[in-house]
Amino acid sequence: MAQELHYPLDSSSYKILDEIGVGVSAVVYKAICIPMNSTVVAIKSIDLDQSRADFDNIRWETKTMSLLSHPNILKAHCSFTIGRRLWVVMPFMSAGSLQSIISSSFPDGLSEPCIAVVLKAILHALSYLHNQGHLHRDIKAGNILVDSNGHVKLADFGVSASIYESSTRGGWASSSCSSRLLLTDVAGTPYWMAPEVIHSHTGYSYKADIWSFGITALELAHGRPPLSHLPLSKSLIMRITKRFLFSDYENHEKNQNKKFSKAFKDMVAACLDQDPSKRPSAEKLLKHPFFKNCRGSDFLVKNILHGLPSVEERFKESKALHGITTVTNNGEEEEEEEEEGTEGETGSEIVKIRRISGWNFNEEGFELRPVFPTESKDDSIAKQVCVGSETISHDRKTELGESGDSGESSGRSSPGRVAEEMKLNHEHGETRKGDKGIDKETMVGGLMVLKRSLDEQRQKVVNLIGMLGGKVSREEQLLQVIERLGMELESEKQKNFDLELELESNKHLFSGAYNDCETE
Amino acid sequence: MKGLFKSKPRTPTDIVRQTRDLLIYADRPSSDPRDAKREEKMEELSRNIRELKSILYGNSESEPISEACAQLTQEFFRENTLRLLIICLPKLNLETRKDATQVVANLQRQQVQSRLIASEYLEKNTDLLDILIGGYENTDMALHYGAMLRECIRHQSVARYVLESEHMKKFFDYIQLPNFDVAADAAATFKELLTRHKSTVAEFLSKNYEWFFAEYNSKLLESANYITRRQAIKLLGDILLDRSNSVVMTRYVSSRDNLRILMNLLRESSKSIQTEAFHVFKLFAANQNKPPDIVTILVANRSKLLRLFADFKTDKEDEQFEADKAQVVKEIAALEPRERT
Repeated sequence: MAQELHYPLDSSSYKILDEIGVGVSAVVYKAICIPMNSTVVAIKSIDLDQSRADFDNIRWETKTMSLLSHPNILKAHCSFTIGRRLWVVMPFMSAGSLQSIISSSFPDGLSEPCIAVVLKAILHALSYLHNQGHLHRDIKAGNILVDSNGHVKLADFGVSASIYESSTRGGWASSSCSSRLLLTDVAGTPYWMAPEVIHSHTGYSYKADIWSFGITALELAHGRPPLSHLPLSKSLIMRITKRFLFSDYENHEKNQNKKFSKAFKDMVAACLDQDPSKRPSAEKLLKHPFFKNCRGSDFLVKNILHGLPSVEERFKESKALHGITTVTNNGEEEEEEEEEGTEGETGSEIVKIRRISGWNFNEEGFELRPVFPTESKDDSIAKQVCVGSETISHDRKTELGESGDSGESSGRSSPGRVAEEMKLNHEHGETRKGDKGIDKETMVGGLMVLKRSLDEQRQKVVNLIGMLGGKVSREEQLLQVIERLGMELESEKQKNFDLELELESNKHLFSGAYNDCETE
Repeated sequence: MKGLFKSKPRTPTDIVRQTRDLLIYADRPSSDPRDAKREEKMEELSRNIRELKSILYGNSESEPISEACAQLTQEFFRENTLRLLIICLPKLNLETRKDATQVVANLQRQQVQSRLIASEYLEKNTDLLDILIGGYENTDMALHYGAMLRECIRHQSVARYVLESEHMKKFFDYIQLPNFDVAADAAATFKELLTRHKSTVAEFLSKNYEWFFAEYNSKLLESANYITRRQAIKLLGDILLDRSNSVVMTRYVSSRDNLRILMNLLRESSKSIQTEAFHVFKLFAANQNKPPDIVTILVANRSKLLRLFADFKTDKEDEQFEADKAQVVKEIAALEPRERT
C-alpha cells in the first residue's frame, strides 16, 4: 500500500493564479501547489459561514471525494480550513465542464463519437460508484469535467448518497418500504431527475442515476437537457405523468438537421424507461453496441479541446455577459447553480429546489415530445403546459424591450442593458417563427411567468450596475428585498399548486392511467 | 485447493474462517513486499471481505438473508476475526478497507438470538477501541477507523468505555487537526459520544465536570479556529438544552467565566456563531437563581446587550427565536443590581 502523496494543508503552499468560477458561497481558483513542483490545481473555496448548520453535507462531500479512487472520478487532494473558508484542493481540469464547453463552443451538441467517449467514461465511473453502494444523484454535463489530455471525470458529490450509511446523514426519511437498498429523499437537479426520485415515496436506487445518465446523453447531443424550456415544476410533473420517447426527437419538424444512429437512440431509450427495473445497469450499458469501437481520449483532444477557449477565458466572458452569475467550471458548486437557476427560470424554484441549471431556458425546439395518454385529466394539464411555455418564450422576448423603459432600474445604465440584451439573444438562439392558437388560460399563465422573469431580469441588471461600479441606493436595496420576498411568496403558492397537480396525477396513476401511458 | 471445492458453495461460516486464515497470513510480516504469492493471498482476502459484505448487505440480485447474517456474525465473533481485521486494515488496499469498514459497521447491528454479540465482544476487547481512536493520528486510516468507531459507540457500554477513558482528552486535539476530513470525522464522533446515550452522558459530565468544561472552554470555545468554535458552541447548546443534562446545565450557567466566554461569542461577526451562542446565553438569562456575580455582569452590560438584541435577527423567520429573544430582553431589562446576599 504505497503511501499516497499528501498535499500540504496550509494556504501558504498554494499560489492562486486565476478565478475560474464563482457562486454565492464559493469561489473556484486555478492555483499552483508550490512544494509539489508547482503542480496546477483547482481550489474550491467555500464560505462556511454561508452554509448554515449544514456541515454534515460538506463533510460528506469531502469525505466521499477523498475515499473514492477511480480514473473517471474527480478526487480531492485534500481539504483544510482557513478562517471561515474551507479549501478543497483538486486536480485542475483544464477544459472545464462539458456544460461550459457546450455552451461556449458547441451550442448544438457534440458529435456522436465524442459523446460515446464521454459517456463511456461516465459509465465506468458509475459502475464503480454503484458497486461501492454510492449513488451520485446529480449526473449532468455540468458535473462532467475534462482535463487537457481529454480525460473525463465525474465530479461533484454534493448530493451523493450511500445506501450503506443512510443513518449518518440527516434529512433522510427512513424508508418505510421493505428494501433497505432504497433511498427516499429528493436530491439532484430537476431536469435530470428520474421520475421515481421526484416521486420519492416509493424509494429509488441506482437506476435513478441511469435515468440522469440518459438525460445527460440527450444534453450532450442537443446542447441542453430535454424539457429545459419548461418551467421547472411543470417539467417535473410531465416527467411523472408522461412518457417521452427518444424517437420523437427526430420526428419534430425543427430538429431534422441532426440525425442520430440507431444504436445511440436505442441506448438512450433504454436508460429512459419509466420503469427503473427495466433500465440497464451501468455495467450492462458498457456492453451496448453504441460503445463498440469507442475512441480514446485523444479523440476528444482533437475534436473538442482543440481551439477551445480556456476555462479562465470562458469564465471571464461569462462573467462579463452574465453579471455576477456565472457558468460553473472546475469543481461544480451547488450554490453557483442555484444562482444560475434564478436567471432563466420562472422563479418557482428559487427558494426550495436546489441545484438548477437555468441556461437555455427558453431556447428553440421541443426535442422530446411527450406522448399523451388518450384520456385522463392530467393530459389536458400537460398539454397546456407545453403550449404555454412556447408562448412564454415568444412573449418574453417581445416584451423585454418595454421592460427597459418601464422598469425603474433596468433602464438606468446602458452598458448593463446592452449586456442584458446580449445575454437574452444568446439565450434565445434563433427567433421563433409563427405562433399557434393560444387559449386564454394559457396566456394568463404565460404572462405570470413572464412577469416573474422580468423581475429577475431587473434584478440582474441591478447587479450588473453594481458590478460596473454604479451605486444602488439603500432604498432600492430595500425594494429588492421586498421584491424577493414577494417572489418567494409567489413561488410558495406555485409550489402548492404544483403539489396539488401532482396529487391529482398520482390519483390517476393509481387508477390505472399509468397503464395507458405504458402502451403508447 | 480452490479448484477442488469450487462446486460446493461456501457457507457464511466458511467464508469467515477463510477470511480469518488469510488475515493471519496478512498479519505476518513479509520480507519481500513484491512477493507474488502474498499478492495472490491478499487478493483472495479482498474477495472474501467483499463477499462478507454482500452477504450482510445483499446485492443487486438479492436481499440479505437473516439466517446467513446470523451465521456470519456468530462465526465472526466466536474468535478474534474482528481484532485481526482491525489490525490488518492498514495492509489492505483502499477498496478493501472500505468494504471492511462496512462489514464492521453492519456487524454492530446484527443480532444473534436477540443478543448484540458485537457489543459483548467489544466489552471484552476494549483495546480494539484504543486502536480505532488512535486512528485519528494517521491520516490514511482515520476515516476508516473513525467510521468503525462511530458504529461501535452505538453500544452504550462501548460509549461509556470511551467516555471514561483517557482518550476523551485527545478528542479536543483531534477535532482541530489541520486535515478537514479527519477533523470533521473526529468532531462527528465527539458529538455522538456526548449526545447519543443520555444517561451515560449525564453521568460522565457530572463526574468530569471540572476538567471537561475547562478544556471545552479554553480549547474549543476560545479556539482561534472558526470551525472549532462554531461546532463547539452548537454542541454545547445541544448538550445543555438536553433535559437529561439539567444538573450540568444549572451548574454551567452559574459560572461567570462561562458567561464571559458566551458574551464574547455573542459579539462574533459570524452570524452562525452568534445565533448558536444566543441559544446558550439565554440559559444564563433565564436562570431563576442567578448568582450575584452573574447578575452584576448582566447589569453592567445591560445597555450593550439590549442594543445587540435589538438588531439581532436570524436569516429565516423563526418564531421560537423571536420569543426567546423577547424573553431574554425582558429578563435583562428587569434585573436589579443586588448589593449583597
